[in-house]
Amino acid sequence: MSIASDSSLVEQLRYVHLGSRDPEAAARFAEERLGMRIVASDSGEWMLRSDLRACTLVFSTARTQAVGLQVHDVDALERAAERLAAAGIAARRDDTLAARRLSKALLAFTLPGGVDIELVVRPLDQGWRFFPSREIGLAGLADVVLRSTRVVEDEAVLVGALGMRVADWVGDAAYLGFDDAHHRISLHPSAATGVLAVEFALDDLDELMQAWYRLLDANELPAHGPGRRPTSEQAFLSFDGPDGVYFGFVAEGRTPVAGERPRQFAPQPASHCAWGSDCRIAEYGAQAPVRGRPHLRGVES
Amino acid sequence: MIQLRDITYVRLGTRDLEGATRYATDILGLEIAERSGRSVYFRSDAREHTLCYFDGDPGDHAVAFEVGTRAEIDAAAAELERIGHPVHAGTRAECDLRKVHDFIAFDDPTGNRIELVWRPQMSGHGFRGTRDAGITGFSHIGLCTTDAARDEAFWTRVCNARASDHIGDAPLLRIGKIHHTLALFPTNRKGIQHINHQMAGTDDIQRAYNFIRERKVPVVFGPGKHPTSSARFLYFEGPDGMVYEYSSGVCEIDDEAAWRSRQFEAAPRGFCKWGAKPDIKEFRS
Repeated sequence: MSIASDSSLVEQLRYVHLGSRDPEAAARFAEERLGMRIVASDSGEWMLRSDLRACTLVFSTARTQAVGLQVHDVDALERAAERLAAAGIAARRDDTLAARRLSKALLAFTLPGGVDIELVVRPLDQGWRFFPSREIGLAGLADVVLRSTRVVEDEAVLVGALGMRVADWVGDAAYLGFDDAHHRISLHPSAATGVLAVEFALDDLDELMQAWYRLLDANELPAHGPGRRPTSEQAFLSFDGPDGVYFGFVAEGRTPVAGERPRQFAPQPASHCAWGSDCRIAEYGAQAPVRGRPHLRGVES
Repeated sequence: MIQLRDITYVRLGTRDLEGATRYATDILGLEIAERSGRSVYFRSDAREHTLCYFDGDPGDHAVAFEVGTRAEIDAAAAELERIGHPVHAGTRAECDLRKVHDFIAFDDPTGNRIELVWRPQMSGHGFRGTRDAGITGFSHIGLCTTDAARDEAFWTRVCNARASDHIGDAPLLRIGKIHHTLALFPTNRKGIQHINHQMAGTDDIQRAYNFIRERKVPVVFGPGKHPTSSARFLYFEGPDGMVYEYSSGVCEIDDEAAWRSRQFEAAPRGFCKWGAKPDIKEFRS
């Protein structure tokens, strides 16, 4: 049984657009580290694919970021515009941007905290299966992590106007869902606003742990993890990406059952990782990593 | 042929019984079953004890296997004597120390002290542990060998062990359905090379990694996943240079006739399919 709310206008997380100082380098990062495929690059805009969606990640020279969400049809787009207007948020139809996002229609608006959302109708899908550029077990765009100075108001708009469902709270951070997944968007209180992380699903935990060892072999430390989220029960690994945005992998996880109530967790690191992993992301309550390698007693050889 | 039914306990000498006890409880998460004189007994499952530290030479290791009947002990003693392994019959006092009805002791070809025990004591109450580590029980050991082919022949021809897989020259040996209860690692010494406890799940292994590290105990391998047994694992240092392992998800071999032993490389990829590299002497090629 689907847990998607009847009142939810949003059907799918479609893409994340990230402004970049160097879109080409960012696209190469996505290709090499995430196993994505570059599908187009035109006038400084690089589009990448991770699954059956024609595009799930866009890097451009624009100094903006946006999250693309699919709604059912143009009627739904109009209903969204009405509900947003009732919430005091101005939304604008943009046919030029719709074409650039490979969609039939697009409604853009800004959340109270400042994150741009693009609602799209009939975004392009691909009939040819996705063939990753690196064999890392990439299974597609999973969720986007947002930070905001006004999370409570942002949550009110996404839930009130767009009909998203609160899956869980960690302090004031909200995990929001609209399909069978535990969440597709999470909103975290912060001094800054924008995309904190973009997360991609991997086939299984083996792939996630292999990704961790690849990171260590490259002499990099994860930003968070490997760990498991007490909320979604996803195993996760977060690491540095271009332009100060974290990228992450997730695997496994829990599918909420119909009628499940959101739970409130305390705003502390243990609510973000049940394994006790090191964290250097302030929004998750970063604590100092363990250093040094002392010994018990000498090993005789 | 000596029918080994299960691995029963490990006995380890130490010059620092208090330190070893602190490690076994605070770090490993085992429960003290009994302190008696110069020995401390630890529980990890439904058995009365599966680990004993005693005041003595840290090089003094013994591992015990259970046999089914008193008659099998006698038959094993006769067979071992016949092929040149002197057998020591356990005295009443020695049996009491081991909490078994009867036992014999002998050295395997490398010189490892092996005990065959009959009617080891069970505990009447459940194992809880000193912390929520997720331990479900003592499961296997790695044993040092100075000649892997010779010792594999001993364990598989004189005893009932079967090689489930090999990593380089090291055989992983089963005595029941569990992929391995004993593994022989080529090296230049005798002794127990590592001691394994099973955990309830992968999450317990991963939590242990951070728990162990935070307490500044050196992690020597993992977290990882063995391509042989499919077990997720973590190896870390114990007192007197011992290596302890936590693992979860070891596979079972249900069809003896259909199983074909596989050969893996004596390199990190033969030991781990996630990419961990062992910092353990006997696991390096």
